[in-house]
Amino acid sequence: MGKARKPVQIVILFLILLLGGYAIGTSVFGGDGKPQEGSKAPSYELLGLDGLTHTLDEYKGQPVVLNFWGSWCGPCVKEMPALQAQYEKWKEQGVVVVGVNVGEDRLTVENFVKQVDIHFPVVMDTGRDAVRSYGVSPLPTTFFINAKGRVDSIHIGQLELDTLDVQIGKLVDP
Amino acid sequence: MTPREPLVSNTKCDCGHQNPVGTVLCEACGKPQDEKELGAEGNLEMRYDGVARRSQRIRQGVIDRIWNFFSSVKIAVYLIVITLLGSMLGTIFPQESTFLNIDASTYYKEMYGTAGNIYYRLGLSHTYESWWFITLLVMIGASLVICSLDRVLPLYKALTRQKVRKHRQFLTRQKVVLVSPLEADPEAWVAALSEPLKKRGYRVKTEGSALLAEKHRFSRWGPYVIHIGLIIFLLAVLARGLPGLNMDQHLAFPQGEAARIPETTYYLKNEQFTVEFYSDEEMPEEFRGKKVLPKLYETQAVLYECTADCTDPAREPVLAEVARHDIRVNSPLSYKGLKAYQFDYDLTPVLRSVQPELVNSLTGEAYGKFKLDMRNPERTFQTGPYTLSLKEKYMDFGLNEEGRPVSKSPYPNAPAFLFLITGPGLPGEGQQYFYFPKQVDKEQFQQQAINERLGGSGRFLELEVQDMSDVDFAASTSYLNIRIDRAMPFVWTGAGIVMLGLVLGFYWQHRRIWLRVEDRELVLGGHTNKNWFGFRREIAAVLNKVDLIVDEKSLDNGGGLA
Repeated sequence: MGKARKPVQIVILFLILLLGGYAIGTSVFGGDGKPQEGSKAPSYELLGLDGLTHTLDEYKGQPVVLNFWGSWCGPCVKEMPALQAQYEKWKEQGVVVVGVNVGEDRLTVENFVKQVDIHFPVVMDTGRDAVRSYGVSPLPTTFFINAKGRVDSIHIGQLELDTLDVQIGKLVDP
Repeated sequence: MTPREPLVSNTKCDCGHQNPVGTVLCEACGKPQDEKELGAEGNLEMRYDGVARRSQRIRQGVIDRIWNFFSSVKIAVYLIVITLLGSMLGTIFPQESTFLNIDASTYYKEMYGTAGNIYYRLGLSHTYESWWFITLLVMIGASLVICSLDRVLPLYKALTRQKVRKHRQFLTRQKVVLVSPLEADPEAWVAALSEPLKKRGYRVKTEGSALLAEKHRFSRWGPYVIHIGLIIFLLAVLARGLPGLNMDQHLAFPQGEAARIPETTYYLKNEQFTVEFYSDEEMPEEFRGKKVLPKLYETQAVLYECTADCTDPAREPVLAEVARHDIRVNSPLSYKGLKAYQFDYDLTPVLRSVQPELVNSLTGEAYGKFKLDMRNPERTFQTGPYTLSLKEKYMDFGLNEEGRPVSKSPYPNAPAFLFLITGPGLPGEGQQYFYFPKQVDKEQFQQQAINERLGGSGRFLELEVQDMSDVDFAASTSYLNIRIDRAMPFVWTGAGIVMLGLVLGFYWQHRRIWLRVEDRELVLGGHTNKNWFGFRREIAAVLNKVDLIVDEKSLDNGGGLA
């Protein structure tokens, strides 16, 4: 009878450790599901200006700069030339810049893209699904996602040309 | 026994039974195993029937130490007390989770001053999600499991392998004892006593002149059933953190639109929101004219489930109605674990579409209406001989620092549209026309002046809304609290099992009677876990049936229990 005692103890302690570790782990490492630096970038499925559905998986193996913006937000408008310039510069090295418009309709987005003269792909998050899964609250917010699909850094607020260059450089050559 | 294990040989009882280390009373005959205890007087320690707990053995290794730590009831009590004290900390100020939209880093300082700031900095604003609180709960859970296992298995073994003939001292040191001369034939007398005992629900085992009668043993499992229930309860609460098992969000539903509930395949449409207030006549005297008291909040809601094209943003989802309910306070819409509660409302109308008519302001001629949606409008409209193409759209019209028109927010607070109109009597490249659907914006932003600047003074076309029936707006917005809690059935199951365990343990008592007749003497001992008074009375009544008259009070062998 006593022979199974030790293995039973070990199994039970192991299960407690596993479940307890999970419970404590989620409370320590922010179980709110929002991506943080180093965590995996959530996928999205959004309609692009080209009329097709786009996902993050399309750019597997490539560094992605994911910029959330709205036409009504001043800093978003101001940072667009910097994004466009860096898009041009890093395009050759496989860096993708994706603009995610938050909650506006097609006409507004099209006019905006024309007006600020940007050429990188733009998707429309009309239902604010990506906003939710990325936990974006103020605009603009930019996620720098490395080639492994992990969030390298998060920039809240207006991007500047030089810092943007440094941050993309880090993505390409970590 | 091998000589390498000298400790083991020490635990062998006189009756020949080999007991584990830590045994208080011999598992077989019930003789006290400790020499000091054997010579002592008074009642025996009957907890767990005197068997050794699993963890009571010679100290070994780390695993045994951890096991022993959690198997201690003393530690469990400390853990529970610490958890209670910790919970109290969480009630000093409101928890972060009770607010919808606050910046916790400044809220506590502004609201409660320095104390609030310290409270926030210590992380007490989310006490129940903090690592130390969860750790305490996990430790209580571990203690529950290990305490139970450590006791229930040996106890089960002890109770299923009970010997009928017990050591004399085991009998005379119970709390219910009778020693009485008996002239009758021992075996016949014992057999005769079995009948009235069986009638009272006892299971009777005899072994020559010795007898063991027992009933309601199952009530001994009550505490362990409670523990199983508590463990299920704790696991269910823990499982709420898993994705998809728990959702709690507050969403806005403008009247007349089916809005998607994020993270689900459901859409909910607020067909009509009603808010009613008590009239002055209905209110008590002291409230009249001073207070506005709501009488009814009601959202006539329809729940749809998406059946196809749900995730593809390029297509319109296909919706099928699955539930319909008039949501009121405390009367949520409920469908397959999803619940929608009335939470808040906003009576500001939100413009959805207008149907303006193009008219010639000189001749008064009207060219027909077209529908202009605020969101995703069509790009070109044909009215009579004129083509209007939509060039720009501003949801919340304003001017930026450089004086250029911009939208100040994505909400249709002050919508404005810029059209290019082409047709007879207009310049070849067309004429630009700014249109503000809301009258208040028309005046504030001077639609007339803008258009005259754009199209010159020879303008003759105007967009006009003729009738309020051409204006479509959401009269109000209802805010609903959408909740899904799939762990709740498990929480209830756990709670139900706890209740069952309580009933088992509280409403029945495990009663046992041992007796032996030897040398014309009856020695009887009895044990129960509560209601000793009833137990003694039962024994007296049973003995009475075989013509042995004893006073029930004389059975009391001390021990301080009634």
